Order: sequence, then C-alpha cells, then structure tokens
Amino acid sequence: MQRIWTVVLAVWAMLAIVAVLAWSHRPAASPLPAAAAQTLVVKGANGKQQLVVVQPGAVGAPHATTSASGVVR
Amino acid sequence: MSARLERAAFHAVGTSCAAAVTAGPHDARRARAALAAAQAEVALCEGALSRFDPASDLSRLNAAGGEWTAVDRRLVEALRLAGRAREDTGGRFDPTVLPALVAAGYDRSFEQLAERPARRASGWRAGAPIELDEPAGRARIEPGTAVDLGGIGKGYAASRALGAMREAWPMLTGGLVDLGGDLALWGETPEGGPWRIAVADPRRPGTNAGVLLIRSGGVATSGRNVRRFGPGGSLHHLIDPATGEPAQPGPLTVTVVAPDAATAEAHATALAISPPAAAAEHVAAHAAISALYIPHEGDPMQLGALPLAWTRIVVRAAA
Repeated sequence: MQRIWTVVLAVWAMLAIVAVLAWSHRPAASPLPAAAAQTLVVKGANGKQQLVVVQPGAVGAPHATTSASGVVR
Repeated sequence: MSARLERAAFHAVGTSCAAAVTAGPHDARRARAALAAAQAEVALCEGALSRFDPASDLSRLNAAGGEWTAVDRRLVEALRLAGRAREDTGGRFDPTVLPALVAAGYDRSFEQLAERPARRASGWRAGAPIELDEPAGRARIEPGTAVDLGGIGKGYAASRALGAMREAWPMLTGGLVDLGGDLALWGETPEGGPWRIAVADPRRPGTNAGVLLIRSGGVATSGRNVRRFGPGGSLHHLIDPATGEPAQPGPLTVTVVAPDAATAEAHATALAISPPAAAAEHVAAHAAISALYIPHEGDPMQLGALPLAWTRIVVRAAA
C-alpha cells in the first residue's frame, strides 16, 4: 500500500514540475505584426473603384513633388 | 519639441524652386544659413549653365566660334557629366542638341516663345565633341556647334545646392533641393523615415500618381505634358538626337530615380523620347536607375526597382 502511495505522489510531483516548467517557459506574447502593405479601395473621379496599395512609411504628406518642367535658363 | 522641415521657396532656372532641411527647435539660424547657401548655389549654377543669359559661361562658350574658353568650374563639371550621360544613354541624351531645339522654335525662355512653325536645323548632327581642359578650367566646342544643358542642368544644380547646404551646416542631418520637380535628397526627414516624394499624375493634373520613398539620391521627371509651344501647342522641347526634330514616340511623362539628381535628369530626358520597349531595355541595362513610365494611354510601367510606396494607378512591371 505504501508503495502505491509513493508512486501516486511521484506522479503528482512530476506533473507539478512539468506544470511549473511549462508555465515558466510559456511562449512570449507575439509582437505586433510588422507593418505590411495595405490595399485600399478608393473611388476614382470617373466613379470606378481603384485599388491603392500603400506601403509602410508612406503615410503622411509628401515632402516634395516631382513633375515635368522645362529647361535650365 | 521635435524636428521639423525648414523650407525656403524661390524662383530660379525658369521655374519654381524650393530647398528644405531637417531642423531641431534650436536650429533656426543654421537652417536659414543652409537654405540661403542652396539658393546662392543655384544662382551661381544658373549664371554658368543658362543658355538664355547672354553673359553666362555657356553662352560665351557657344559664341566662341571653336576657341578654347575659360569657364566656371561648374560648367566644366556639368559638361563632363553631360558627356558621360550621352555615352550612358547611347546618345538619346545629347547636350549638343541646341541647334535642333532652336530650329524647332525653342529659341528663347519658355515664357517668351512665339507661335511659329518648327523648322529642321540644317547641317546639324548629333554627338558633336565637347573638349574639356579641367585643370585649366577651359572648354571648347566645334564652330557651328552649340550646347544646351536643359536635360541635366537642373539636376546638377540641385545636387550642388544640396552640397552647399551640407557645407554651410556641417551638422545637417537631412535636406532636399527641388528645382522645378527635379530633386536632390539626402539624410533624415524630420520624422526619421525616408523622403516621401509624390509623382504628379500627368493624366489628372492636380493629383498624384503615387509616392516614392527615398533615403538619398535624385529624382527627375521629364515629359511632354508641359512646356509645349508652336502652333496650337503642337510642339514640345524634347528633341530626338537621331532625327533632330521633336521626338514622336515616348511617354507622357517619365520619372527616374537615380543615385544623384543629374543622372536622374539625364536618364529621364533619354527615356522621355523612348518607346516602352526601349525604355524597359534601357533601365534593365542600368542597375542604378529605376523609372515610372506613364504613356499617353494604357498602363503605366514600373521599370527597375522603383521605390514606389503607393500608386493610384495600375502599374505594370516591365518583363
């Protein structure tokens, strides 16, 4: 009888150790997903829907605009 | 208080210009000095490179009748870069295209152009030699030849002006120079990320076709949607060196990203007279550049590793 209780206690002890180890080594909370490209649907001037793919870092007003101009004078 | 973009707008090289620097809350005086240095450098470049100023170094060279002419070091350097760009573009950018440009009717600053029909330059040929004596600061072109730096001068001046800002403010962390849409960019933005450069949509004036994200380098756009002249605005300033006449094939606009603004502008000039297949081939052969090619009709093409952040238009990557 004593031997049975010893086995039961040993099993419980092992389960407790496994539980503690599992708790202490639980995976860290996953970080926020990396910024990824987003696809937006916008309505064009002609009423048709267009897809706009936005890359991270593109948010905000442009610092400058490039366009065709003329020659050095 | 965080960094902000200190900006100065001014008129030069026949167009609207701006310079901007990333500045902290206590940098106002240094920022003003840097912006003034940029504007002064653009003025010096214009005084050396303009073909519309009879007193410019370029005008003196063009009028020298084949004699060696002492010129500003900026002109010597710009001519050297132009000669290299002519080689790199297989002659599709040619700084000696001026006689053909004048014959086409673009013989004065854009604001003064008359409504008159185009002519073809008689006896003009592409690829005329430009001789440089850099140690002595001299240049020479053949009699009857004339140079126009319109396809590279703004980019060159923008790069010079950016350098002048960094020289005036050695601790400068970032800045840009914008000469009529041709841009030189360097360093940090006030937000810390890359520079956001909008590409104007030539098909829908007043809107942008997309935004480029660029850490450093040059951006230039060339096209035939603006600066039209002649009867009914039927002509444009893009001369095909192969024919000596305003180019027929080519996009509405093309935007080029390159390591520096002069290179971007020269390649944009070359691609602006290139049909789509030739443009794709050209960019594929030059790993340092990328382009957004917007034709009159049909899908725009993204050529090379274009740092396009977003686009409102359907962009077809070239095969």
